[in-house]
Amino acid sequence: MSVALRAEGLSKRFGGLKAVDGVKLQLREGEILGLIGPNGAGKSTLFSMLAGSLPPTSGRFFLGERELTGLPAFRIARAGVVRTHQIVRPFAMLTLIENVTVAAVSCGRDPDLGRKALEFAGLFDRRREFPQRLTLAGRKRLEMARALATAPKVLLLDEVVAGVNPAEAQEMTRLIRRARDELGISIVMTEHVMPAVMSLANHLLVLDAGKLIAEGSPEQIVRDPSVIAAYLGKAHAT
Amino acid sequence: MKPPRWFRWRPAAIVLGLAVALALLPPVARISVYTQNQLTLTFVTIAAALAWNWLGGYLGQVSFGHAALFGLGGFVAARLQISAHLPMILAWTAGGLVAGLYALAWGHPTLRLRGPYFSIATIGVGEATRLVCTYWDWFTGGSSGMSLPVTAGLKLQLYWYGIAIALVGVATSYWLRRSPLGMALLAIKSDVDAAGDVGISSVRLQDGVLFLSGLAMGICGAFNASYYSFIEPVETLGFEKSISFVFMGVIGGVGTILGPALGAVVFVLVRQYFIASYPQLYLGLFGVLLVLVILFEPLGLTGLSLRVARRFGYRERPDLST
Repeated sequence: MSVALRAEGLSKRFGGLKAVDGVKLQLREGEILGLIGPNGAGKSTLFSMLAGSLPPTSGRFFLGERELTGLPAFRIARAGVVRTHQIVRPFAMLTLIENVTVAAVSCGRDPDLGRKALEFAGLFDRRREFPQRLTLAGRKRLEMARALATAPKVLLLDEVVAGVNPAEAQEMTRLIRRARDELGISIVMTEHVMPAVMSLANHLLVLDAGKLIAEGSPEQIVRDPSVIAAYLGKAHAT
Repeated sequence: MKPPRWFRWRPAAIVLGLAVALALLPPVARISVYTQNQLTLTFVTIAAALAWNWLGGYLGQVSFGHAALFGLGGFVAARLQISAHLPMILAWTAGGLVAGLYALAWGHPTLRLRGPYFSIATIGVGEATRLVCTYWDWFTGGSSGMSLPVTAGLKLQLYWYGIAIALVGVATSYWLRRSPLGMALLAIKSDVDAAGDVGISSVRLQDGVLFLSGLAMGICGAFNASYYSFIEPVETLGFEKSISFVFMGVIGGVGTILGPALGAVVFVLVRQYFIASYPQLYLGLFGVLLVLVILFEPLGLTGLSLRVARRFGYRERPDLST
């Protein structure tokens, strides 16, 4: 299978702190790549670099054959790599349908894609309301619908399951699976809710203190001593 | 040709009808010259208030320096009419273009700032422009200003041009707010980074809107100079002038389509009544008004009238009925 998104030696340095340190990453087409790690491991920083909101200190990344390193966020979005935000950021002044339509139009897609994305996320009936009226779970689905409205090739999901109740988490998990299976979108997701990421991801990367410490299938990762050490401390890693 | 999806016939017909009726006032209703001149001034003020709102309202980038564009347009147009004997309309266009380009020159870097930081930068731009124009004697005539040629029938001509300029201002406001472009502007206003993450180019859009705003401001300033047949830096470029656009926008309703036009009408009327007897008081009055609006009705007169209309059972249509 061909590669959708590829990064080599991606690093981000904030002064003396290496937030992300030489990360190599490969997302195959039609797959979900899970990115896990304790708080402060650099997951969100890595996402911000891939989405173009933070320029990497060094390293390169590619969508298929096309290099995206150094492009501004809106160009990367138009090229087909779109992110969602860990802390939801809907356009408060726009109705739901406008939120998604503006995304579709700005990426040069058919405005109708906005409607379809809203239907997909189960928010179409509330299209004329403002995001403020939605629950957190609703806003997370809007965040996802807005990203889907741009017809992305690669979706970067930053903790879209975390922080909602179990029923909503299941609904969200279903949505992510459908995005991969029905829409054929390749997905990178970070997540703290392990059941979700374990059931969804085809492949997992584990990040700790900016470095990649393990990678493999979900089954391999849960048994990896270095992963257990990163999460629970070295005493548990035997 | 089919009009675009966001176009609505009814408001277009109402505005056009109003413009035609106003245009017929002087020959048909024989209004006094005083009223005619007051209306002329109101038209151009409406256009300027709307142009300020494109940036301050739709993008939330509140400029306290728009007098710089208003004044520069005026000076360029005046100089071109006096020294190059350019026809009035051509000189206005040139004034507008120069003001638009000038706006881009300082706006392209400063628009990356947001909120109060951008506002502070515009205060600097406004004051710097005023000082440069005050001391740039050979171009602006310095503090003593410049007199423009007066032709027969000019005032009536300006009355009609004023209507045309206000009409273009209203149409542009409608287009910027209701077309898909308007959604992108509001998205930038809501969250500039999230907008970038879904493919909206905030730099290009903000620059474009600022250029349009500068162009319109420059033309209004040029018009203003022709109206008074005189231009000097203190009145046209002063901080007070910049503030007046903010007043009109806020009092009328920031970010709405017609609010600033309403604000402009109120501003011209109140100013006219107060400036003769209490020349300092009217600014204080506007200050009080500003505080009241911000405290109780952030959408200004527009918000107030919507509230009243809702009391009587009016339900507004959602912006985009897709």
